[in-house]
Amino acid sequence: MSAKKYTDLTDVNDVVISTRIRFARNLREYPFPCRLSDEKKRKVASIVKEAVLEGHSAISDRFRYIQMSELTQEEAVSLVERHLVSPEFISDRQGRGLLLLDDESVSIMINEEDHVRIQVLAQGMKLDEAYELADKIDTLLDESLNFAFNEKLGYLTQCPTNIGTGMRASLMLHLPALQESGAMGKISASLSKLGIVLRGLYGEGSEPSGAVYQLSNQVTLGITEREAIKNLNDIAMQLVQQERNARDAMSESINVLDEIYRSYGILMYAKLVSNSECMKLLSNVRFGVEMGCFEIDIETLNRLLIEIQPATLMKNIGKKLSPAERDHIRAELVKTALSQKKIPTSRRLENN
Amino acid sequence: MLCQSCEKKQATTHIKTIMNGELKEYRLCSDCAKKYGYGSFLGDFGFDLDKLFGSFMEGIGAPKTRKRCQCCGSSFEDIARSGKVGCAECYDTFYDELLPSVRRIHGRTSHTGKLAHSAGTGVKIKNEIAKCRTELEQAIKAQEFEKAAELRDRIRELEKSMGDQSTAD
Repeated sequence: MSAKKYTDLTDVNDVVISTRIRFARNLREYPFPCRLSDEKKRKVASIVKEAVLEGHSAISDRFRYIQMSELTQEEAVSLVERHLVSPEFISDRQGRGLLLLDDESVSIMINEEDHVRIQVLAQGMKLDEAYELADKIDTLLDESLNFAFNEKLGYLTQCPTNIGTGMRASLMLHLPALQESGAMGKISASLSKLGIVLRGLYGEGSEPSGAVYQLSNQVTLGITEREAIKNLNDIAMQLVQQERNARDAMSESINVLDEIYRSYGILMYAKLVSNSECMKLLSNVRFGVEMGCFEIDIETLNRLLIEIQPATLMKNIGKKLSPAERDHIRAELVKTALSQKKIPTSRRLENN
Repeated sequence: MLCQSCEKKQATTHIKTIMNGELKEYRLCSDCAKKYGYGSFLGDFGFDLDKLFGSFMEGIGAPKTRKRCQCCGSSFEDIARSGKVGCAECYDTFYDELLPSVRRIHGRTSHTGKLAHSAGTGVKIKNEIAKCRTELEQAIKAQEFEKAAELRDRIRELEKSMGDQSTAD
């Protein structure tokens, strides 16, 4: 079998999909967004916009400003699907602005829950790199914006759950084997005692679609940014180990393998695939790649996870589509992406 | 564990509330959590305790003062009801009222992380000393004595500069 088997702890891309670091910051001179009129919000937005775009750093030229109220509904929802803004951010777009780096790795939300939310996104496990970039941008902005800060409570935020560092570090994890084994409830309960939250990212309930989970730090006060990141990293590594052990235990299960190959078959031949079905099937195919069943570039799968979402699909096509039309285009999109890669290597059970 | 309300689905939400000084814990499934109004903090961006925070505060009993923040006009009742603090100054105005909730949320009450541009030099030095002390302990544990000696000198230097500052003040 030529497919890559993941055992290395420096390469955890079989479990960690992406990394996100978010800083919550506020301007000292203005009340928090919940106490701001639309007019004042626009004022805050223009101050932040100027501080970023007129800043004397190499990165300034690479940002573009988006006034949220000027976007179409599809464009706005697509920003959420690409994880560039929160769902809350597009619920009321008045007075809200977004600064986006050219490669979309940095987004700065203006007037979300706080005046400024700096967010850095990266593929795979990149906690340190993402933190350093967010920290650098924060330091640059602080010089001109003078962020609200209290010596005892740290950075001040609209919701007291974010005071202190104002930092939320998150990892998006693919945990199909742990989900299959039914261990998720127990794991997330024990993590909550450690100040870490683990929850499903897509869909509701105990079995989120696509087996995609988000692991993030909960406590932001009385802990340094580095300590919080180290904690998160240590726990993520334990989860990686547990997930890999669960995968090994399942690697000979004919039921699991059947589901993986069956999912691949459907994605290769189906003409209509709904969003939720697609999430589930892609997760199974990804599981297959991680188990060494097929050779498909994991980045292709990461990209598909976003491109199949309804609003992003319509944005990329450039017009409004009915659900049935979307299901058809989605099926074609996935088929094309998967066909570019090698045909699955046949994998037999060793005992057979 | 099954949801304590419907007893059908797997519990995914753990809720702790303090009502009249009594801690109560519930484990609910996502549907029941939503039904009781705890669904919102399962939103996309991090753990949002807005509503839960609000319910923490109600339990403590609203203070009788009619104090309002001079900057944004919020009363403590406004903050407790919405779970949202009005402005940076509210944290000074209502520091004593907010502190119990802050402690409950974070388990701690003083910041040790990054310092803003505006923070006083005193705090900066104090934090630098704390950082050096942690590194010193690690260096001793790892038997890196050369590094430990450097750190010790650095701490002395910092402590001296802090002393100079306080006499200057």
